[in-house]
Amino acid sequence: MGYGDDAYWYEAAYVYGVTNGINAVADGLRLPLENSDTPARKPLIMPIEFEEASDRVKDTYSDIMTFYQSEQIPAIFKTLAHDDGYLKDYWGAVRFVFSDGRLDRLTKETLAFTASMAAKSDYGVDFHLTEARRLGLSEKGVMEAVQVVQLFSCYTKMADGLQLSPDFDPMGVT
Amino acid sequence: METVRLLEEHEFPQELQKYFEGTKTWFGIDYLPKMSKVISYAPEFANTHGRCSRRAMVDGDLTRAQKEMIAVAVSAVNACEY
Repeated sequence: MGYGDDAYWYEAAYVYGVTNGINAVADGLRLPLENSDTPARKPLIMPIEFEEASDRVKDTYSDIMTFYQSEQIPAIFKTLAHDDGYLKDYWGAVRFVFSDGRLDRLTKETLAFTASMAAKSDYGVDFHLTEARRLGLSEKGVMEAVQVVQLFSCYTKMADGLQLSPDFDPMGVT
Repeated sequence: METVRLLEEHEFPQELQKYFEGTKTWFGIDYLPKMSKVISYAPEFANTHGRCSRRAMVDGDLTRAQKEMIAVAVSAVNACEY
């Protein structure tokens, strides 16, 4: 299977772009990790819990829980809920970006996991690795993804350090 | 502009030529990528790290295409044009 169609790459860009945006806020505000058993981080802005949320926010929370098949609402969305309109639209974007498209949902979560690792985001790695596993990523697949992140984190640093210009125009490669 | 002079293919040890041909075949190109030249400056690094790359990028539980897409995501996060 190849990714010759631009649609794949647009979708991939949406995934690592949105992931980077979420991670910047989640780690910047020290939101507690969703799944890892580590000492909880104390958030700098307190998340809004379901019970104290407005009806509009509760509707969005319900959609989030359905999407992730979890009774837990990720802290990032509970934080964005301080502006219910922003939460509703941002969640709409996230749901769109991470739904099955030309790329399937598992591929997207795997991409988000690797983008989070490359960005050194504790929140993102914890969240997206858990989600990718839930969607069926094997442990062999996890290690394969880890290897690619490690290798290309190395190559990109060497390329930058030596100021290598690209070898070819990516539009010319299918 | 590169900060080092990248060696021409013929300047590398003969033992690496087979690896170079494999690299061109892998990418479907008729020249050696700059990163391959960087890695191959030290043959010991080319042999070990290069093997890691080949091992990591073949189809496995993730396809080669998925792995290339991950590589692009990593490059984007690291803001690397190369």
